[in-house]
Amino acid sequence: MNDLSITEPATKIAVRNLHFYYGGGKPALKNINLSLGANQVTAFIGPSGCGKSTLLRVLNRMYDLYPNQRAEGEVLLDGENILSPKQDLNLLRARIGMVFQKPTPFPMTIYENIAFCIRLYEKLPKSELDGRVEKALRSAALWDEVKDKLNVSGLSLSGGQQQRLCIARTVAIKPEVILFDEPCSALDPISTAKIEELIDELSESYTIAIVTHNMQQAARVSDMTAFMYLGELIEFNETTKMFTSPAQQRTQDYITGRFG
Amino acid sequence: MTEHTVRAFDRELELLGRKISEMGGIAEKMLSESIEALISLNVDEANAIIATDLRLDVLQREIEEEAVHIIARRQPLGPDLREIIGAMRISGDLERVGDLAKNIAKRTVALADDQRLPRAMIGLRHMGQLAAMQLKDVLDAYGQGDVERADSVWRRDAEIDALEDSVFRDLLTFMMEDPRNISSCTHLLFCSKNVERAGDHATNIAETVHYIVTGETLPVDRPKTSESGRWIADR
Repeated sequence: MNDLSITEPATKIAVRNLHFYYGGGKPALKNINLSLGANQVTAFIGPSGCGKSTLLRVLNRMYDLYPNQRAEGEVLLDGENILSPKQDLNLLRARIGMVFQKPTPFPMTIYENIAFCIRLYEKLPKSELDGRVEKALRSAALWDEVKDKLNVSGLSLSGGQQQRLCIARTVAIKPEVILFDEPCSALDPISTAKIEELIDELSESYTIAIVTHNMQQAARVSDMTAFMYLGELIEFNETTKMFTSPAQQRTQDYITGRFG
Repeated sequence: MTEHTVRAFDRELELLGRKISEMGGIAEKMLSESIEALISLNVDEANAIIATDLRLDVLQREIEEEAVHIIARRQPLGPDLREIIGAMRISGDLERVGDLAKNIAKRTVALADDQRLPRAMIGLRHMGQLAAMQLKDVLDAYGQGDVERADSVWRRDAEIDALEDSVFRDLLTFMMEDPRNISSCTHLLFCSKNVERAGDHATNIAETVHYIVTGETLPVDRPKTSESGRWIADR
């Protein structure tokens, strides 16, 4: 019998002794240590202000856009520290894509929303570009709904479609990791289900981290779950374990709705 | 444990627990009384037990219905989820204990005219008392969330199995002595089997309590000493 199926997934991102500061004073993240497995979905839960979105913003150095914000420690992507000043940020953000809470389509056609991003990184002939746009829309499960109206504005789509357009835009540039920051909080249940189905499909090809306020969503979509509170990582465990018998009292209080 | 932010949730869980306690009380009483009625061949008592079973069935349905409602409304997680799943399982076990006691009562009515009852009755009574005690213990363990007590119930079931063996041998001997005993002894064999099964339900409940409290499951195989199967096969 081979037991390959139960071998642990390789580590894609390793966070080591990470501290994060929004300015002076108290850290927003305190000594975070965890690993995201390759092709796994890792969910981050916790009350508002616990640092889960902050952590996500560190993973692709989004915080670099703001002065005074700084991170200490290491974030290793395939073993290389992306917090190093030598890191090329454009390259990093091509490897680690991000989808935000509110859909953020550009004010251009559906086609251009995606082609624009591809052109930033690659110069392709029109025919090949068309193929890439279609592939991206297909992998975001949007193609069938928009294939006859690729030239209308991305802003004309429904909220759920816009969010999938943003996901298509993210996967179009072939990232390795996708970060989702509450991707469904502005969507109705059907659009939410479509995004969740999509996350499930995408996890075959990408490493995924998702921040969500919806615990049932974390339970539904993720392999591993991290519970954060006041800037600390309280518990990091298999999702099934986390939601049936968590190890920490604070996790238990949070997931059962007994918090403070 | 501290209260839920949504307090209605606490009230729903509390109600569920209260109904389990009520079921437990009824099942426990039915089991011990059915044995006493059998020993004394008290038909009135037996009929009263048969009538009680209905309440147990109603309670079980209510518990299942409420558990389903809570799951649909609250999407419980962690210990809450375990408690609700546990309540569903335990109510199923208690309902079965009620059925088994009712069956003993029915057989008591059938046996009432036959006054030539064997010595095995003593063993049967002892078995019944043990099973009733197991049930009481495990229900207390449930009420108090006492995992050690539940575990000890789980381990003790082997005693009932051993007693069942000896009752079985007594009855078999009695039947061999005189074919006219066969009819009544067959009833008693079923009664002894019923008691043994009631004991099994007590250990099921012990496993559930263990799960509710710790989130872990007890091992699948429990130490077994029953040899009646082998005893028949050997002859």
